Amino acid sequence: MIELFGVSKHFANETAVDGISLQIKRGELCVLVGTSGCGKSTTLRMINRLIEHDAGEIHLDGQPVRSFNEVALRRRIGYVIQSTGLFPHWTVARNIGLVPRLLKWPKAQISERVEALMQLLGLPLAEFADKYPHQLSGGQAQRVGVARALAADPDILLMDEPFAALDPLTRQGLQREMIELHARLNKTIVFVTHDMDEALTLADRLVVMDQGRIVQQGTPVELLREPATPFVESLLGGLDRGLKEAALIQVKERMLPFGPRLLASERIAETAPLSQALSVMLWHQVERLTVVDAEDIPVGELSLRRLLGVTAA
Amino acid sequence: MKQPGRLSLNTWLVPLGWLGLLLVLAATMPYLESLFRVIEPDMREVIYRRAGFFTLLAQHVMVVAIASLLAVTLGVGAAIAVTRPAGRDFLPLVSQLASIGQTFPPVAVLALAVPALGFGTLPIIVALLLYGLLPIVRNTLAAIDDIDPGLRESALGMGMTAGQVLRQVELPLAAPVILAGIRTSVTINIATAALGATIGASNLGDPIIAGIVNSNTAYIVQGALLIGLLALTVDSAFERLASAPST
Repeated sequence: MIELFGVSKHFANETAVDGISLQIKRGELCVLVGTSGCGKSTTLRMINRLIEHDAGEIHLDGQPVRSFNEVALRRRIGYVIQSTGLFPHWTVARNIGLVPRLLKWPKAQISERVEALMQLLGLPLAEFADKYPHQLSGGQAQRVGVARALAADPDILLMDEPFAALDPLTRQGLQREMIELHARLNKTIVFVTHDMDEALTLADRLVVMDQGRIVQQGTPVELLREPATPFVESLLGGLDRGLKEAALIQVKERMLPFGPRLLASERIAETAPLSQALSVMLWHQVERLTVVDAEDIPVGELSLRRLLGVTAA
Repeated sequence: MKQPGRLSLNTWLVPLGWLGLLLVLAATMPYLESLFRVIEPDMREVIYRRAGFFTLLAQHVMVVAIASLLAVTLGVGAAIAVTRPAGRDFLPLVSQLASIGQTFPPVAVLALAVPALGFGTLPIIVALLLYGLLPIVRNTLAAIDDIDPGLRESALGMGMTAGQVLRQVELPLAAPVILAGIRTSVTINIATAALGATIGASNLGDPIIAGIVNSNTAYIVQGALLIGLLALTVDSAFERLASAPST
């Protein structure tokens, strides 16, 4: 668990972070979101003490971060940055094994761990272990970055706009993997981004920051439903909020399980978001879709009325 | 990135070849009298004999080696120190001092150093040290400055100590550029060291100075040939080093 109590940070005359308090529970994926310069990255870096906070307290599992040796603290916390920070003169395998080596794990254990992580992140050992970072695509490099951050099995992962430099397709792929990874590993993840769609996709809890303060926090749906200020509302996309919310709800939550006799001609996967179902309806100008499961077998039906969530039958 | 053994041997052959030529010429120079007679037919003596060429060569190498070793230690050390957070304030000072060191002509340094340090080897070492600092300091500063700040941040964020970042990340990445600076510095100093002969530090500059004083071109050619070959040997050795895969 990470707790911030009235934490502030000033640079010269500027206040980067202004007395924020925040609680991030164990196993939670908490996304700090806001425009650039809102203090979200500074907040992240104060957790692993790359930046020291001026006022307030930051606690890790109940103990102030200042009570730890900073090097030992950072070795316990995974850290991923936008530019990957992979060492260009080291192979992929050596990069991933960095923290275990710093922690002086036995050699065999390190290579075992590196192997397991490369597998976890879909980097075939034979193909990638001996490659150098410049030989990787952006997405592959960031996978290595994530693997490196996970190497010593830290409880906490700090991610600073890790996917911001990637093309949209690669980014979405990595976001999906991130969700799976989080579900599987149950790490506490603090994720910084300026991309609201990314934030809504990933977050268990969203923390919106502006000018060094927390403006609002809550689940993505809570924020979409009740934005606290016009700023949050515009950040969430203003009138597009309906679509953003629809992107968070899966078709199977709204479908009618055993549809009427007649199958609709157009199909939609049950795990697809409502926004996609709406898009299919718009595209084909139909009001009914057949919902299919992963094997493409019809399992239900989605009508426009149900999609809209009109409850009265 | 392993290179086949044959290839690496091949490239070491170049500096070894120059070294061989240098040693052979130093050994056979006294027997080439008829050759140098062609240049200076009227001189009584055409082969420089006040000291053996091997002695001169050894002294030349020693002076350059000592000056370069000091310049590397001081230059790289200072550049590293002023790129640490604690030493940042001194960065402009150090880079200016190094520039001044090079704009100061070595002859002037010698002239100033002699009254303070006396005649002999010491003033020339001081002059070479000052003169050789700039390329080393400048390249080391540029190389360290050129490292992606994201690398330093992630290295620290991963839990490397400042020393580990320096040794495992900054220096290996900066090494090729630092090496290029050292190469420039040493090569220039091999030529400049000849000036030492004017203040009694005997080295391969001796035949050249003696040749100028006595208008004996043969002497000049002998000194210049050996200095040139020494510079080529060292320079090609550095080239080989630079192309070696860093680990």
